[in-house]
Amino acid sequence: MKEYTLIAVGSVIFTFLVDKFTKVYLLKKKEFYLFIVIILSFKFLVNGYLTGVNIVIYNPKFFLGVRLGSIPLEDFLFGFSMVSLGIISWELFKKK
Amino acid sequence: MSKYMLVLIYSGIFPLLFSFYPALKFWRNYKALIFTLILLVIFFGTWDIFATWRNHWYFNPQGIIGIKIINLPVEEWLFFIVIPFCCIFTWEAINFIKEKIK
Repeated sequence: MKEYTLIAVGSVIFTFLVDKFTKVYLLKKKEFYLFIVIILSFKFLVNGYLTGVNIVIYNPKFFLGVRLGSIPLEDFLFGFSMVSLGIISWELFKKK
Repeated sequence: MSKYMLVLIYSGIFPLLFSFYPALKFWRNYKALIFTLILLVIFFGTWDIFATWRNHWYFNPQGIIGIKIINLPVEEWLFFIVIPFCCIFTWEAINFIKEKIK
């Protein structure tokens, strides 16, 4: 498997495990999926621009080569892990 | 001003302004916010340093200011602060509205 693909898949598995073992269970919350849809629409703007005008350029050797618009598939996994781990940490440490 | 820096400013400006909406009480949890952002900078910064070192991706010199910390543009470091901030704000806004309409 390609290196970026492998690390990205690994980060998603890691995120699932963190969600389970911290008992935040973010992925079981209904609001999370509304949140993901909203974030995804902004992701197409931001990530779409960064990749569309070639501010970030990807080496074809290390990713599958599948893109949604200009965004490599792996970026969606990267983004999912970053966003989810961020919210899990926030939920864990914020005052209830 | 680089293109990448403008993307960060446009992304962050409205969430930052709305985060001061009093009823949201967003900044009450500034410690959780800072802690979370530090965690993300360390975790995803490490990944990014590795990926850039391995040449998984690289940054177009024409899109960035050109200041680098380790091997990443300063904009890329700020990305791990600005974008998670926007996401956490959005998450809080969703939960705030959910409580309101309940």
